[in-house]
Amino acid sequence: MGEARVHISGFRMDFGDTTVIRDLSFDVHAGETFGFLGSNGSGKTTTIRALLGIYEPTAGILHINGRDFKPEHGDRLGYLPEERGLYKKEKVIDIMTYFGRLKGMERRAARQWSLEYLDRVALADKAGSLLDKLSSGQQQKVQLGVTIMNNPELLILDEPTKGFDPVNRRLLMDIIAEQKRGGATVVMVTHQMEEVERLCDRVILLKDGVSEAYGTIDAVQNKYGGRIIRIKHGGSIPRSPHYEVMLQETNYAELSITDTTDEADILKDLVDAGVTVRSFTTTKVSLEDIFIRVYGAQNNPVPAFAGDGT
Amino acid sequence: MAQRNLGTVIGFEFIRTVTKRRFWIGTLAVPVMIAIVFGLIFLSNSTTDTAAEAQKSAQFTIAYTDASGLITAEVAAVFGARPAESPAAGVRAVQSGTVVAYFDFPATPETTSVRVYGKDQGIFENGKYAAVAQAMLSRAVEQKISSPQLSTLAAGKVQVETLTYEGSKESGGLGSVIPPLFFLVIFYGLIVLLAGQMLNSTLEEKENRVTEMILTTLKPTTLIAGKVIALFGIGLVQMVVFLSPVIIGRVFFPEQLSLSALDLPPLAFDPVRMTVGFLILAGGFALFTTTLVAIGAVMPTAKEAGNFMGVMMALIFVPFYAVALVVSDPHAMIVQIFTYFPFSAPVTALLRNGFGSLSLPEAGIVIVILFAGAAVMLRLAVRLFQYGSISYTSKVNIRTALRSGSRRAAGDTTPTPVT
Repeated sequence: MGEARVHISGFRMDFGDTTVIRDLSFDVHAGETFGFLGSNGSGKTTTIRALLGIYEPTAGILHINGRDFKPEHGDRLGYLPEERGLYKKEKVIDIMTYFGRLKGMERRAARQWSLEYLDRVALADKAGSLLDKLSSGQQQKVQLGVTIMNNPELLILDEPTKGFDPVNRRLLMDIIAEQKRGGATVVMVTHQMEEVERLCDRVILLKDGVSEAYGTIDAVQNKYGGRIIRIKHGGSIPRSPHYEVMLQETNYAELSITDTTDEADILKDLVDAGVTVRSFTTTKVSLEDIFIRVYGAQNNPVPAFAGDGT
Repeated sequence: MAQRNLGTVIGFEFIRTVTKRRFWIGTLAVPVMIAIVFGLIFLSNSTTDTAAEAQKSAQFTIAYTDASGLITAEVAAVFGARPAESPAAGVRAVQSGTVVAYFDFPATPETTSVRVYGKDQGIFENGKYAAVAQAMLSRAVEQKISSPQLSTLAAGKVQVETLTYEGSKESGGLGSVIPPLFFLVIFYGLIVLLAGQMLNSTLEEKENRVTEMILTTLKPTTLIAGKVIALFGIGLVQMVVFLSPVIIGRVFFPEQLSLSALDLPPLAFDPVRMTVGFLILAGGFALFTTTLVAIGAVMPTAKEAGNFMGVMMALIFVPFYAVALVVSDPHAMIVQIFTYFPFSAPVTALLRNGFGSLSLPEAGIVIVILFAGAAVMLRLAVRLFQYGSISYTSKVNIRTALRSGSRRAAGDTTPTPVT
């Protein structure tokens, strides 16, 4: 467990009378990849903006490397914001060199690094082109390059795959993995649960401005049932205090184990209850399942049209 | 680091502007037009001079009557003119085509017009009649005076040099008024040409969604200060380009361009007034730039921001409605208001400085007002930029932005949908 690269404690954020974040605390350790999860409007981007000094927090401590973040500390920060873009009417190489310079690189080094990066992502011939002459996917590659300039020790990626095509998504994931191998700490704000499961060491789930779950992926999965039984069967699944029926379709069901009962005992109970078991597999509950369970409850039914008399 | 980044921003903003083709098309359009106008003047002057000379020496049949007694037969013979029996006969001779022109020299040509009648030969050719009539009279007068020196003096071709004093110190006169007024010209040029760019300078970050990446690598104050300084440099480049044909014309082709007719007295560069002029220019430029940047930071699009530019433009032209008063009665109340109201101060104070009616204490106050106003507007622009630049699609609530008490922006609006 490394030192805390990011430390947030007692963070509260009000916008007028609306409290967006209330008493949020978590740490991101050096070298880990951290998933910052939450539904739309749960306060993820607000937290990141407050952490980076773009918003003034109403209360709390938000530290990067043990201090409030200031732009002059940003040389080794790679930030890919949710709302992203670059200077559209400038040449690609000039934009990249400019951001490299702002991050403390020498002009020549920034230019050289940019050319090498563009070569790597098959954009070498676009170095002298205006950004708006590039396709959307090509612009995304440039944006990624700007984000990882100067070997960042902390990468904050807000919805990194938003708007990315599959090719660039793969490139992004490769880059994240590469940066992680190079010792960078990565904070990912995302809805892509598969990526989180694949890349993240720990996660936090934010709901209505408070932490719903926080810890390693295993810990979070355990908190939300941990184990899922997927069963193909004949007959009907009986009720039980040991599991909850999450999904029931014809001849197929998913059961969430709610206590420490062994799977073999549950199988025996089912057989004893007359259920014909054709297949029986146990897996851990996925983050996506957890996400749906946590945030699905927020979705209210679509209101009926006022004029339809219902 | 801040200084390093300031230099980086200035360099980026300056170079990306001056390396654009459209910048040079716009910038060079002005001197090219000036050069074309000068060229036309040159051609026109040449043509006019040639025509005037040709007209003076034009040979055509002339009849004349002379009540003044100045025109001698010798002079008339030089011009091929013959006396007419009477004015009526002279006019009839023109009408019948017997002669091309008839000149009626009155008894007192110094107070009464010489009447010229001629066959219509087109609006340009008809000018030769007056030219020849004048030439006849001049030749006659010179003959009468019989002294080239007196003739020259009588023609009023006298050069006069004026020297005035402020106490025992020689004052510059008109020559000392012109140099400080250059700052006024530069101020107008900078604002008129760059206002749009000033307004759009921070809008670009907002419209392109660059703001958040910028704000994590750069203090907004550094960004905006860098942009303002770069704009000043760009403005100076434009001014030099604009003025280059005038300077080249004045230095190398004064006669051809007839600039000698506007011959200026020797320019006197009073170091105090020049310094005051420069400081007012710098302060005024900074104030207008930061104000336009602040407006740009509040508005979501260039189109909406553009509506405010007209107001700013009006502010720099308002003092000209009272320009006569500014020059003649600098202590009039309206002039005083214009002098100290920050947005009319640059033009009014530069005018008064040019005409020497802005005392040093007054200049000091104006300069302080301008720089203090620019500092306040810079802080406001920075605050609004911090606050407004991530408000990508809506106008910023200025009151809310101002209420935010610290370096970082927060408040009671939701600048952009947050997740």
